Order: sequence, then structure tokens, then C-alpha cells
Amino acid sequence: MGFDWAVIHDNLPFLMRGLWNSVQLAAITVVLSFPLGCIVALGRISRRRWLRYPATMLVHALRSNPLILIVFWFFFLVPILTGRPVGDFASVLAAFVVFFSAYFAEIVRSGIQSVRRGQLEAALSTGLTYAQAMRFIVLPQALRSMTPSLATECVIVFQGTTIAYVVGMREFLHTTFLVTERTMRPVELYLFAALVYFVVCLAGSIFARRLEGKAGIPR
Amino acid sequence: MSDPLVSIRNLGLRYGTFRALEDVSADFSRGTCIVICGPSGSGKSSLLRCINRLEEFQDGDVVFDGASLRACRDLPRLRSEIGMVFQHFELYPHLSVLDNVTLAPRIAKGKPRQEAEETARRLLDRVGIGDQAGKFPGELSGGQQQRAAIARALALEPKLMLFDEPTSALDPEMIAEVLRVMRDLARNGMTMLVVTHEMAFAREVADEIVFMDKGRIVERAETARFFSAPTAPRAREFLDRILHRL
Repeated sequence: MGFDWAVIHDNLPFLMRGLWNSVQLAAITVVLSFPLGCIVALGRISRRRWLRYPATMLVHALRSNPLILIVFWFFFLVPILTGRPVGDFASVLAAFVVFFSAYFAEIVRSGIQSVRRGQLEAALSTGLTYAQAMRFIVLPQALRSMTPSLATECVIVFQGTTIAYVVGMREFLHTTFLVTERTMRPVELYLFAALVYFVVCLAGSIFARRLEGKAGIPR
Repeated sequence: MSDPLVSIRNLGLRYGTFRALEDVSADFSRGTCIVICGPSGSGKSSLLRCINRLEEFQDGDVVFDGASLRACRDLPRLRSEIGMVFQHFELYPHLSVLDNVTLAPRIAKGKPRQEAEETARRLLDRVGIGDQAGKFPGELSGGQQQRAAIARALALEPKLMLFDEPTSALDPEMIAEVLRVMRDLARNGMTMLVVTHEMAFAREVADEIVFMDKGRIVERAETARFFSAPTAPRAREFLDRILHRL
């Protein structure tokens, strides 16, 4: 049995639509869950218990559950709670944002804690508010030390989009599967899928490395 | 001593069960330079850090320029009137020296960039590193970094300067350049509280010496008297050790 690479060419527009959905899901997830994660991280390190306890519980609860369960949860429960269907993309996106914000929160928290406490104190001693000290002094430095972990997490988010398959969203793996069923060419198609995931993730890490280089600070 | 700039009243600070400061009271007048010395762990740094409430004290109060710190509702404004210089400089490594100095005036006081930069350049010239403004802190020597940190603190036109062991992290040959800047400040009438082990500096520049031990002030005297005839036995012992260590 020889390879028939034409199946990929013939179904490329359909496959690319799936890929586009995956990329969109991953990109919007990162854009929304990172700032959310920053807020949760600030709650985690807060001195105020009424902020720290809920933030800590939220992070632990989310991190101890598999993503697929969170996806189901949003897919089946949110329509019941809101009383109307929300669509697969929206429900998956909500699940992803909530789930990954917990992971981003932990990355941001360790990044913040890697900045010497004296930096915060120096900023406060010049009359900056806590929020200003965080915004201008601590977070920029924290961001630099967490760039590698953030890049890794973005790759995980992108790979995680395959889970949207379980609720029928037409992400890239799902479209690949649909074409496979129709053409009976799993070898070519799954090889192609592997290549695509590899390329997208490689591009992501190269981009991250360049960002890191740019953020390099003379010490 | 009428109308002191800083008035410390029965101050008490605890970390868990450890009493870092116990019933400390002292007044410091405007325009004076006070050196605070004592063995390590005696509460010198804690005392300084209570004065701008980087430490939250449990007992007593500090009155700065007539306002109670305990009752203070606007800490940032209060802190912008008190400059602080740290042992490890704590310059912001991701900002240029110029930005280090202009950040607080711009962000906390809302000064326009140009005005803040003019002030910053003047201050950097004054501490002798005007030519380093565009560099990052990591490119400067320790002595230059500490002088930049002094310029950063001065940029807010503080009424009081706190120095927390400003030369302890420096190589010997860089200590002199930092002390020169501090001496210059004191001679120009800045009110200064300096925690330091530099006894030669204390003897030359300080108006008064405060000696602390185990969280309390055990001796306070005019500089000449402190060095010639300290009354507290603990202070005498400390002086003997620190002056005759060579």
C-alpha cells in the first residue's frame, strides 16, 4: 500500500478551517486567561485572607481536575444554568479560559515571587501605591523570568484544543478525523496532523525565544 | 527641642514572638544628622523601616512632620516625603538610571516627563554620575549604583532621608564616594537618619549618635561625647570592639 498524499491536498480547505478554529481557540484562551491569571496570582499572594483563600481554592480546584471534565462541565451545565444553549465554541472557550487561568496564575505567582522583596519596598518607599509598584516595577521583572514557562504553557494550550473534539467542536484534530473517516487514509492524515502541531508549536517557541532575547536585561 | 520632624513614641514591633523593638521613644529635629549604631539584630533597621511604615508596628506611634503614621490614610503621599536608601541599592534593573530617578516623580507625583528629567539630571550631576544617566543599573559599579539610589530618593524632594546601612554592601574603595555624597547632603541641611557601622563618618558628620541594643535605645548623645565618654556599658563595649578591631 503506497501513500496517497493527494487526500491532504484535496481536503486542505476543510482541514485548514479546523486548524483556524484551533488557533483561534488557543489564541483567545491565552489572551483572556493570562490577565485573569495575573489577577488570581495577585489574590494568591495577597495579605488579605478574603482574597487569598478564594484565589488559592480556585487554583487548587481547577488544577486538580482534568481539562476534559471542565469542558464537559461547561458544555452541559452552563446551558442549564443560563437556560439557553451557548454553542460549542463559546462553552469550550469559557472552559479553557477558566481552566488555564489557574495555570497562568501559578506561573505569574512564582514569577512575582522571584523578584526580590526589596524591589517592591524600594518602589513603595518612593511613594508609589501597591498597584503602581506592581505595574511598573515588579510585574515587568516577573514577566521576564516567566517568559519560558509562559511559552510552554501557550504550547500546552494549543495542544489542549484537541480536547474540544469531545463536544463536537470542529477543531483541527476533529476535521482530520472526519476526513479520515471519509477517505480511509489515516496514516497520511495523522502524519500530516502531527506535522502541523509540530510546526505550530515550533513557531511558538521560536517566537518566545526571540521575545526572551529582546527582554534580556543587563544585570 | 521644639517641633521635631520625627517623633517616635513608645514604639513596639514584634515578629511573631520576637520583640524587634520595645518601647522606643525619640525625637529628631529638622536639619540634624543622626547616626544609629549597635550590634546586628539590635533593631536599627527595624526602627528606620517603621518610620515610613515598611514595617507595621504593633505598639506606640511615629509622628512625622506633625502627622501620626498610625492614623495615616495616605501612605504613598507620606512616603514620598521620606527618601530611603537601602543596603542593596534596589535600583530597578529593567529601567535606565534616568528612568529609575524619574519614575516616582512622574507616576506618584504626576510631574511631566521633561521636568522630571531635568531634576533627575541635576541630581545625578550632584551625586557625580551625570554621565551614567542612559545606562542600566547593572552596568554601574556598586558605588555608582548607590549614588544613583540616593538621587532616586532625592528626586521626591524629601523632608527626611533614611539610610539603611548604605555602604555595607560596597567594596572599601567605593564606600568613600557614597559617604562623600551623604556628607554633602548633611552639610546642606538635610535631615538624615543613618544606620551605619562607619564610625569615622559618624564622628565627622553626625550631630548625635543613637546606640541600640536588643530592640531598645540604650544611649543617645552628642557625637563628641558619645565617642569620648559613652555612659552605657553596652555602648562602651561596642565602641571598644569596633574602634580597636584593627
